[in-house]
Amino acid sequence: MKIKVDIGPYKPEPKKIISYKREAPDSFTIRLDWQIEHGPGQFVFCSAPGIGESAISICSDSRNYVDLNIREVGNVTNELGKLQVGDELLVRGPYGTQYPMQDLKGNDFLIIGGGCGVAPLRGVIKYIDGHREDFNDISLFLGFRSPEDALFKDEHEDWDKRHKLFMKFDKMEHENSTACYTGSQGFVTDLVKQEVHDNTNKIAIVCGPPIMIDKTVEILREKGFHDDQIFLSAERLMYCGMARCGRCMIRGKYTCVDGSVFRLDHFEDE
Amino acid sequence: MQKGVFDDFVREVMQSREFVAPVKGDQTKEVQESFFTDIKDPSQIEIGQLTYFPIKYYFFAKKEVLFSFHKNRIEEPEIDIPERVFFGLRLCDLNSIKHQDTVFLNNGFRADPYYQARREHSLLIGMHCKKGDDHCFCQSIGLKDFYDLMFFDKDEHTYGIDVGSEKGKAFVDEFRRFFEEKEEGYITPEDKVTINTFKLDTTNIKNLWDNEVWSSLSEKCTACAACNNLCPNCHCFTVEDEVEVGDVTKGQRVRKPAACLVKGFTRVAGDHVFRDDLVGRFRHRIFHQLEFFRDRYGETMCTGCGRCIRGCPAKIDWVTGINTAARKQRGGQE
Ligand SMILES: Cc1cc2nc3c(=O)[nH]c(=O)nc-3n(C[C@H](O)[C@H](O)[C@H](O)COP(=O)(O)OP(=O)(O)OC[C@H]3O[C@@H](n4cnc5c(N)ncnc54)[C@H](O)[C@@H]3O)c2cc1C
Ligand code: FES
Repeated sequence: MKIKVDIGPYKPEPKKIISYKREAPDSFTIRLDWQIEHGPGQFVFCSAPGIGESAISICSDSRNYVDLNIREVGNVTNELGKLQVGDELLVRGPYGTQYPMQDLKGNDFLIIGGGCGVAPLRGVIKYIDGHREDFNDISLFLGFRSPEDALFKDEHEDWDKRHKLFMKFDKMEHENSTACYTGSQGFVTDLVKQEVHDNTNKIAIVCGPPIMIDKTVEILREKGFHDDQIFLSAERLMYCGMARCGRCMIRGKYTCVDGSVFRLDHFEDE
Repeated sequence: MQKGVFDDFVREVMQSREFVAPVKGDQTKEVQESFFTDIKDPSQIEIGQLTYFPIKYYFFAKKEVLFSFHKNRIEEPEIDIPERVFFGLRLCDLNSIKHQDTVFLNNGFRADPYYQARREHSLLIGMHCKKGDDHCFCQSIGLKDFYDLMFFDKDEHTYGIDVGSEKGKAFVDEFRRFFEEKEEGYITPEDKVTINTFKLDTTNIKNLWDNEVWSSLSEKCTACAACNNLCPNCHCFTVEDEVEVGDVTKGQRVRKPAACLVKGFTRVAGDHVFRDDLVGRFRHRIFHQLEFFRDRYGETMCTGCGRCIRGCPAKIDWVTGINTAARKQRGGQE
């Protein structure tokens, strides 16, 4: 018997691209005309039909649109880089856990990001800006390969005004570059070492390459942080987002469902 | 049911349904080991042994078309699913289907529509297994009764049949003339006994995570993934786009089973592999089977069929490995 299958959960929907901005030589930000309920830290799947699907974090916090920052690192993401304003992108989501912002009210926030890990953190910053009275001091510690590679350059000045922005770059080849608002050579972990003194009423949110996360956690623990004060994001291969394909599993937890935002005391690496 | 009418029963069912049952492999053909297939004649049925190949691919297809696309236009697939009766499933086979149901239908997300369609058009008939072979350890797991109908070899002339679901009951009603009504308790606890000579001492292996047993077990492993493919429970998959020759904008998004023993299982852009060492991959599979699935869903995923050991070209017996390691850890004698 021939059965027409309702593909429901795997079906991507076309959404119009309403803006496109090149952020860095290998990354761009698009805004989609897409109205969905979501929270900071969640992600969506973007399709390039004929090539595949990629998980991309939402880097905005709005009920009217969705911003995605995409780094061109392979087949799908390179294809997505060719999109233009007015094109439609096939997406499904949102998926994954969010930073439990409601439960974290009244705290100071240390927002610590490295490279494209800064993208989801922008969603957190946007959320905080929308609920400013709920939170205390906000410090942003961001690290990039070079000033050219920094994401969301246009917003740095504003972030620095509203909060405290600290930046570090692996390399400063273009010393006089105006590409970036402020910052000096070094690692984001150096900033955390220098600027963070204690753990009192503080929450740390860390997103970036695994090694940067590991180092940062080590420093935070030295500063007296408990694991329930630290949130991290894990990145794994993902094909479904529904705890089925098994590719994203880390020691029994599905990164797509139990993460990708984990509170550190709920996270056990292999 | 009288055994004398069994063949007639099968023939009658075959009038309206595909009848899938275990058959012997053929030494002269491509498939040399036993497997499940839609039979054409009752004489093909071979219920004497556990099939070498698992049942799972009838539901978790080796290639499932999720949808076809032309640029951004998406079209729902049409799948051809015959009404099927599965016969001769052992309790381990049946429990593995139960576990796949958990993942694809009952894991809290919207049911997987492809799996659901395949399952809805199936009826599961078990054949009770009285004695496992050298690699069977189902009795160490604690399998559940899960079937539409279960056949028991009552005596020389009779099959006792337990009805396990509404679907099973409706089926019996449809083929009424082959069945006789029996009193409550006709199937006794003795009928349900299965004897194992092989044993897994414990499914609680949490404290073996850092044990050296994983390096010794995986020493001979070649990451061929036979264990993943033969396991009736392994259900991980890959999704990929297949395009038409000459027109990359047209194609199909397909799902295929994936094997966690293979290095590429966790490979991401930049050629980074998260579970890079074979020891870790070997441990991951066993932990998923014995611990991770139970942590999440309350049941051990492994069903103790032993296919992974029987089919391992390197003959890696992880059950004995774990038994020894657990005993050592408890401080017992080897
Ligand atoms: C929860 C989550 C959030 C993410 N957020 C962002 C983001 O905001 N911006 C961004 O630029 N990138 C993000 N990534 C990474 C992004 O998914 C990968 O860079 C992308 O999938 C690479 O695909 P590719 O086809 O370009 O690379 P290829 O190497 O050609 O990959 C082929 C296939 O492998 C898979 N794949 C490869 N690398 C990854 C990876 N690192 N993670 C998951 N799947 C991968 C994809 O399914 C892809 O189809 C995120 C990943 C996860 C898991
Ligand atoms: S992405 Fe498939 S299980 Fe997490």
